[in-house]
Amino acid sequence: MIGYDGTIYFLAGLGFGAAASAPLAHCLGERFHVVGIDLPGQGGASDAADGSVQTMADVALAAIEAEADGGPFLLVAHSMGGKVAALVAARLLSGSANVFGLAGAVLLAPSPPVPEPMDDDKRALMLAWLADGGLSEVDAREFVAQNVAEPLRESSEQDAVAQVRQTSPLSWKRWLTEGSTEDVSAVVGVLDLPVVVLAGEDDEDLGASAQPRLLAGVYPRARFVSLAETGHLLPYERPDEVAAEIERLWQTTVEASPQVPAEWGRLIASGRTGTEERGMLARRAIADDPHYAPRAISQAQLTTLRALADRLVPQPGMRRIDLAARVDGDLTAGRGDGWRPAELPDDISAYRIGLDAIASVWPHDAEQQDTLIRRIIAGEPVTDAPWDDDALSLWFEDVRNDLARAWLAHPASLARVGYDGFATSAEGVEPAGFVSLGAGLRDPWEPGDLGTPVTVSEADE
Amino acid sequence: MNLDDMRTHADDDIVDVVIVGTGAGGAPLLARLAERGLRVVALEAGPNLGPKGFTNDEVGAPRINWMSERLSGGDAPTAFGPNNSGWGVGGGTLHWGAFTPRPDIRDLNLFTESGVGADWPVDHAELIRYVAEVERTIGVSGPNPYPWDPDREYLDPPVDRNAAADLMAIGCDRLGIRATDAPAAILSRARDQAHHGHRHASRNLGTIHQGERFGTKATTANTYLPAAVAAGAEIRPDSMVHGIERDSLGRISAVVYRHDGREHRQRCATLVLAGGGIETPRLLLNTGLANSSGQVGRNFLAHGGVQVWGRFDEQQRAYRGYPSALISEDFVRPDGVDFAGGYLLQSLGVMPLTYATALVRGGGLWGDDLMEALDSWRYSAGIGINGECLPAEDNRLVLSDEVDEWGIPRAIVAFSPGQNERAIDEHATATMTRILEAAGALGTRVLARTAHTLGTCRMSADPSMGVVDGDGRSHDIPNLWISDNSTFPSSLTANPGLAQLALSLRTADRMLR
Ligand SMILES: Cc1cc2nc3c(=O)[nH]c(=O)nc-3n(C[C@H](O)[C@H](O)[C@H](O)COP(=O)(O)OP(=O)(O)OC[C@H]3O[C@@H](n4cnc5c(N)ncnc54)[C@H](O)[C@@H]3O)c2cc1C
Repeated sequence: MIGYDGTIYFLAGLGFGAAASAPLAHCLGERFHVVGIDLPGQGGASDAADGSVQTMADVALAAIEAEADGGPFLLVAHSMGGKVAALVAARLLSGSANVFGLAGAVLLAPSPPVPEPMDDDKRALMLAWLADGGLSEVDAREFVAQNVAEPLRESSEQDAVAQVRQTSPLSWKRWLTEGSTEDVSAVVGVLDLPVVVLAGEDDEDLGASAQPRLLAGVYPRARFVSLAETGHLLPYERPDEVAAEIERLWQTTVEASPQVPAEWGRLIASGRTGTEERGMLARRAIADDPHYAPRAISQAQLTTLRALADRLVPQPGMRRIDLAARVDGDLTAGRGDGWRPAELPDDISAYRIGLDAIASVWPHDAEQQDTLIRRIIAGEPVTDAPWDDDALSLWFEDVRNDLARAWLAHPASLARVGYDGFATSAEGVEPAGFVSLGAGLRDPWEPGDLGTPVTVSEADE
Repeated sequence: MNLDDMRTHADDDIVDVVIVGTGAGGAPLLARLAERGLRVVALEAGPNLGPKGFTNDEVGAPRINWMSERLSGGDAPTAFGPNNSGWGVGGGTLHWGAFTPRPDIRDLNLFTESGVGADWPVDHAELIRYVAEVERTIGVSGPNPYPWDPDREYLDPPVDRNAAADLMAIGCDRLGIRATDAPAAILSRARDQAHHGHRHASRNLGTIHQGERFGTKATTANTYLPAAVAAGAEIRPDSMVHGIERDSLGRISAVVYRHDGREHRQRCATLVLAGGGIETPRLLLNTGLANSSGQVGRNFLAHGGVQVWGRFDEQQRAYRGYPSALISEDFVRPDGVDFAGGYLLQSLGVMPLTYATALVRGGGLWGDDLMEALDSWRYSAGIGINGECLPAEDNRLVLSDEVDEWGIPRAIVAFSPGQNERAIDEHATATMTRILEAAGALGTRVLARTAHTLGTCRMSADPSMGVVDGDGRSHDIPNLWISDNSTFPSSLTANPGLAQLALSLRTADRMLR
């Protein structure tokens, strides 16, 4: 058994490396497994073939793949690492890495996907530090000092300076001349992911006041936190605050939504599952936005739909999928099922009318709610909806179906009901499909709760 | 499928034949006509996805279904979308279940036998010769001997049985009901398909309705369509036909279609409609053509598809393996009943979201009952039917006032089962319940359902009774033909795909006469 709740993958900023996660790991304690990652040229890691952000993301993903256990994790990324994290998150949500479990990201004074705003003089100075082949002790100290609001404690400062000095000159130069100026925003796109962005008020280009403008479009769900008397080196300056935000994000995402068991997560991550399917499952696994703003229906209608969802597709306990929000998302995107009862208007209009009608008679008490539901299904007159009673019950059948499907499409629900057929379509994996079909049996690659394993020979071709 | 090097034609070339649709009705005919040297163009409303474009995810999979809304009415509104319609190069065969019983002679002569329903103006022996040809071409696996037809021969052995098939076999055996491995257009042995390439042997996938990447399932896109293209046919995907033009003599002269947001007009000497049981009548009603009989849109047929599910101690997980691996034809004409026709039985495993929808819509479940039923899905095995549906004038397709994204009025389809359909349902439900109980089910659950979209442009010997003749040619317009499920005069107990592929070849041969 693993002895922690989840994993934190930490991507450091320019001049730092995996070791920069130490203060944070200390603050987080046993609960999280903190995995610091050395990007190319960081912490003694070798340089990459080129200086592109994509290549840095490849390195980060390889490290995550090597460490991933199928359970939930957050990306925590600082400065330059933030730009890499954006690409990493985009790749994880599209399924194009053998990893599953991304729950959100905590970004610390991150560099944005667009070219990083950087003062020319500052860039020139930082490049000048390379003149004698590498960063001297003095330069490293100056770099650290420039990036903090208050001097660091002696031991922290020594750590930080040592890491800066360990950074390869090539990677330093490449970030300043290539990586930071690259525009990867088109590849990153819009990431509908729970994200917290922390930044210092005494930071410059990547400070608290700049971040919303740089990132609100990339991460529509981002919460921006500004830290007073803080410069740019958040991992060293504010590890306690960062740890608190991580815990808070964890609580509102991983602990608030159904989780895919790690063994199932590993199967989704594995080469047995196709890229596109992995991406769909990854996106559906993301916890819903507690501040979800409906687009097809009104806030009041969403409230009614949530109340209905509680009765129609009950999810006892604290871990929940916001089924109503997901149905609103489908309605907004026009994802229908190809037909509707002839008596009803288009899906969105029907939802609006139907939900208003139900809201007008919705009782407070759960038992009475169930009675009302039974009467609607039976086609009894219950509301003054502008439809006849049969039409209301036909619409209500759509609602019941939409909510049930929204629930079941979530990978945690699929694991709960014992469906692993998503893992049968990848190329180059043989036997790609199922071999043992009998009751109570399973193939060796299937999760343990699905039956007794049968060892199989190769498929017939 | 690969369309890169196909022969192409200009819009104002008068091609010999334009075919609307590339599913079970369109594709074999396209291949046959091209192989005989005709200049043929198929217009397909949906995309050309290719195997890698499919996904086994049920939410993503409707990219191979006709998702533009249809309106359903009547006592048993028909579910369309993933349940009932093809879209894309390959049509309905991209998502079909590939369950391929042969049409039974008694079903083709239902009216003569029972005084209700309709006879088919088609000779059974001739149809079966075409069926056998289709089976060879697409690769149908099945058992020898076939209990209900000892003369028949399947060239490939049956595919593996899954847990649901095992249970149905046990239950049938205990009750003295004959049941055997189902004929299926799933390869039990790999093959190289002419003009297509390698097709793998069955991978025991329960996800075949979502589209199948390995070519184990026959579709027209991995059989007839590549053969058609190799013989010089042109296939234009993303081309939605919405208009039909005629010359001064009233003969078809061109079709109008939308492609890439622009109107195109393809001239042709002959037109074949193969858009399926909904789109063909919709197009005819909208253009006002071929309807002197008033029969366009009438007699919409949907197979009885009731299911019974049993819950067992062990995990069945019948989403593994070919979903309908067992068949019984013992009830094609059950003894001592007061209904006409009968039904086929098939064992069932289904995908999770499909099952959820069946529980909600067909079983009326919600709340804790629904969640409990979903939790016991993995312990469940089902049996379903394909039951006869008699034609009824009022089960019909009409046009609504609302238009779709192409500006065509949407179809409104009303369907109410009649006395005969209800009696079949009841009989079948009792039979399936008995089988599951005999197999040791701890409990059973009935889920109501219908399947397939047939009728609506039926064939008839008498021009006042139907839209096309027994060859598929319009009674009204000599250079207009229909080759799709809309021509079925009655539903048959056999599932319609195989019969449709065979009828398509037959219509092609009639056109070549
Ligand atoms: C879920 C499901 C499972 C099935 N399983 C089985 C089974 O196991 N066994 C069996 O025998 N049968 C099965 N069937 C039925 C089988 O798929 C159909 O009988 C068969 O595909 C019908 O052929 P068709 O040519 O009439 O229509 P389709 O195969 O649906 O082809 C019609 C094509 O025409 C195109 N089209 C329509 N209108 C236009 C237009 N205006 N312009 C351009 N293109 C147009 C459509 O996009 C479509 O591609 C199943 C059907 C469904 C829905």
